[in-house]
Amino acid sequence: MGQRFSNPTARLMAGLVITLAGVGAFSWYALARIAGLRDLQTQLVDRNRRDSLELLRIEDDLNTLGLAMRDMVNGDEAYGLEAYQREFTRLRGDLEDALRREKELSPGERSPDRQAYFAKSLALFWNSVDQMFALAAKGQEKPARELVRTSLEPQQASLANNVARLLFENNESEERAAGRIQQIYAGVERNVYYFLAAAVIVIALTSLYLIRSNRRMFERLARLSAQRSDLARKLISMQEEVLRSISRELHDEFGQILTAIGAMLARAAKQQAPPAFRESLQEVREVAQATLEKTRSLYQSLHPAILDDGGLEQALTWYIPVFQKQTGIEVHYSKTGASAMVADGVAIHVYRVVQEALNNMAKHSKSQEAWVRLGLGPDHLQLEVEDHGVGLPGDHGRGIRRGIGMVAMRERAELLRGNIEFLRPSEGGTLVRLDVPLS
Amino acid sequence: MTRRDLILANPLFFSAGRMRAEARPGLPFRLVEVTSAAGIDFVHNSGAFGGKYLPETLGPGCAFLDYDNDGWQDILLINGMDWPGHRRQRTTMRLYHNNRNGTFSDVTKHAGLDFEMYGLGVAVGDFNNDGFADLFVTCVGQSRLFENTGKGTFVDVTERSGLGNRQGFSTSALWFDYDRDGHLDLFVCNYVKWSPAQDVFCSLDAKHKSYCTPEAYRGATAWLFHNRGNGTFEDVTATSGIFDSSSKSLGVAMLDHNQDGWIDLFVANDTQPNKLYQNKRDGTFEDVALKAGVAFSEDGKARAGMGVDVADYDNSGIPGLVVTNFDNEMLGFYRGTKSGSYIDMAPGSNIGKLSLRSLGFGCFFFDVDLDGLLDLLVVNGHIDDTVRNVRAETNYEQPPHLFLNRGREGFRDVAAEAGPDFARPKVGRGAAFGDFDNDGDLDVLLTTNQGKAHLYRNDQLGGNRSIRVRLVGTKSNRDGIGAAVRLYCGGECSLRLVKSGSSYLSQCELPLTFGMGARDTAERLVIEWPSGRTEEYKNLRAGRRYECVEGRGISERTG
Repeated sequence: MGQRFSNPTARLMAGLVITLAGVGAFSWYALARIAGLRDLQTQLVDRNRRDSLELLRIEDDLNTLGLAMRDMVNGDEAYGLEAYQREFTRLRGDLEDALRREKELSPGERSPDRQAYFAKSLALFWNSVDQMFALAAKGQEKPARELVRTSLEPQQASLANNVARLLFENNESEERAAGRIQQIYAGVERNVYYFLAAAVIVIALTSLYLIRSNRRMFERLARLSAQRSDLARKLISMQEEVLRSISRELHDEFGQILTAIGAMLARAAKQQAPPAFRESLQEVREVAQATLEKTRSLYQSLHPAILDDGGLEQALTWYIPVFQKQTGIEVHYSKTGASAMVADGVAIHVYRVVQEALNNMAKHSKSQEAWVRLGLGPDHLQLEVEDHGVGLPGDHGRGIRRGIGMVAMRERAELLRGNIEFLRPSEGGTLVRLDVPLS
Repeated sequence: MTRRDLILANPLFFSAGRMRAEARPGLPFRLVEVTSAAGIDFVHNSGAFGGKYLPETLGPGCAFLDYDNDGWQDILLINGMDWPGHRRQRTTMRLYHNNRNGTFSDVTKHAGLDFEMYGLGVAVGDFNNDGFADLFVTCVGQSRLFENTGKGTFVDVTERSGLGNRQGFSTSALWFDYDRDGHLDLFVCNYVKWSPAQDVFCSLDAKHKSYCTPEAYRGATAWLFHNRGNGTFEDVTATSGIFDSSSKSLGVAMLDHNQDGWIDLFVANDTQPNKLYQNKRDGTFEDVALKAGVAFSEDGKARAGMGVDVADYDNSGIPGLVVTNFDNEMLGFYRGTKSGSYIDMAPGSNIGKLSLRSLGFGCFFFDVDLDGLLDLLVVNGHIDDTVRNVRAETNYEQPPHLFLNRGREGFRDVAAEAGPDFARPKVGRGAAFGDFDNDGDLDVLLTTNQGKAHLYRNDQLGGNRSIRVRLVGTKSNRDGIGAAVRLYCGGECSLRLVKSGSSYLSQCELPLTFGMGARDTAERLVIEWPSGRTEEYKNLRAGRRYECVEGRGISERTG
């Protein structure tokens, strides 16, 4: 006794807050890493890829220019160099568009000097192309072809080399980005494992704590229940003892006194006295007789002496007609099984259960008929009190609300190490069934 | 007794299988091979002697044409020849005159066409507007222009017309009036810079010579010749913006890409980006293939473009494109969009899956079952007769694809069901369609490399009929090439373009055929002539042939 029971709610709430905070923190971390990954892919990888596509387009244009220049130098076309001008113009437009796009997409790590150098080289190339077509327009095909061979072709090769190098750098940059992405994935994966391990530990600790708390709570409840039952038993025993004592006092003291008074009044009535006195004496004698009857009734109801003298069966045989007379409810009493001597300690509680069940029935069932069945076995007693009325208050098919009387019936059943059930018969009403071991 | 009755009474007309043309469940038509019965005995000579010269793999082309203007389609089959130093036989192209009874007569010599040349393709067009079809035969070396005298003969006018002195490796060609001056101009595809002296040794096993892929050779620009209207041509290749020395062109088709009434060109290039030359209406062209999404495959690769055709196959009013490619590349099957770009539908469709293993050459859209929806024929055949030694799953001879247009249900290959001989594997190259028996449906002519030509007669089993329209230009070029014709029937509009070129090295007939199904009449026929003039005719009847003369009205043709 006296061990203080600590409430786990606060600790559980704290655990919940910590867990939620952990999940929140990890979610934030994961989202941040995903956002970082997305940015990396969008900003670097996708951009790099798109930049590489533009570089490929530039490379393709430069190669086409290279092929055209090869044909120009060969000079085996039926057309003069001017025939190539439209193709060059188209390719120039496409190259400028590709370069503009490429500039927008170029990786940040590329130096502006390199970009500027490439743009300058290309400008020089187109300058030479313009010179070449100017010569061709003047009919100077030979020097124009020579310009292609000596100037334009090397420039084109240099530009193509530049683009190839940029493509290579893009590729390297993509590889680096791929490495970083791998690192991010590895970091996230590692942290997922950490988080899962931490979550498992927290869940295990919380579970252990909950199990321990529950066990302590149930132990506490069991103790409280035992104490309550003990107390109830003592209360009932004390009550029965008090009632028996009062009943005995009423019988032994008041009953004897009133009987003596009655006898004395009867003796006095035989003596000579004026009629008026005799009448008064008769009235007193009748009052005394009525008081004696009421006292008898009171001590019988407090603790029927017949229970002590004749046992449970006789007590019921006496009580049931009294109940019928008091309430006007017809009670069908039946007994099965061999008669056995039911100990006093058991009989008083069974009797009280019958009393309580019938009184409850009279109060609530609105039934004019009841059945009391007593079954006796060599080591077992079964009592059934049944009515077909409206049932007990609160009984709506979901269990019966427990009144004080019913709690008392249950406590008495527990005192007898028996079992009591409150059932609903198929005809309606209430069936109270008490099973008590006699061994 | 009408001429048609005479034909139907002729036992020869039925001899090659019509009697065997029992109905097959599901297909309302049947393609019956009538080559021998029709008297077509052409065999292609590629000149192959073991030297494995590149041109040997490419030919030949073929054409349906009505060279004598009798209303019956005749047949022209192009031929190669033996290489110098390896002469074994004399071979020429062959012109077959339609005897109007299901048979043909070889009139090559009489027509003056028994020239020995290494011919590959042909384009048919009335370049001098005299009412008779002239021929441009593409060759390895000097291509030839043959003028139709109108008396059943042709005269070689190559030199006189200004087209001489041009050595090339010319493949497909087409006639079109790019400047709308009423005279047909000439576009000629060139493949690569090749001659026997420049031949490169290529080998699959490092021992034996094999055919080279075009990567081994430099490209060659296509040519554009402007018709001056006086029987001569001016080379405008350079000034028109067509010049492109990197191209390796095999197929060309005309279309009105931007729907402005000015004819544009699509050129299929082998291992080089395809070209879509948009007519800028000032005598120049701009290549918009990249912008339009037809230069490369969906994965950005330049494929081995061979044959090509353009048609409004979904009756949307916007033409789509088909381009045949190498095996493992699948067909380019493009749907046109309002924005002027094209979407390749092949990768996600039956057409792509079924054509993946085929090496396609000739191809065209035509309404084989006359249901009003254009179907697609593709002929296939590998270029290397030893391919099976290298790739066991690939055959030199390959069956054609006949994709039946089922509207919203897509296309289904019915080649195997179209006739007992139709799907037999061949080394297919050229392909053309034409109604040689004037029964209102479209018959098929195929050529094979180093093999026979095949003529398939189309027998309609379901009773579908058509309306056939022949255009005669007056202000426009006489053939009406470039005219857009719309037939309105039952709430639907079918669009056809009178065109030269398309397919591969070949030319289909010029009259237009509109499948009517079981319907009896069409509400309207609207013609947009190349001159800009629009004419409309009403209440045309199924099963009839009409002739529309620009500015003079429509008349029903008989016989």
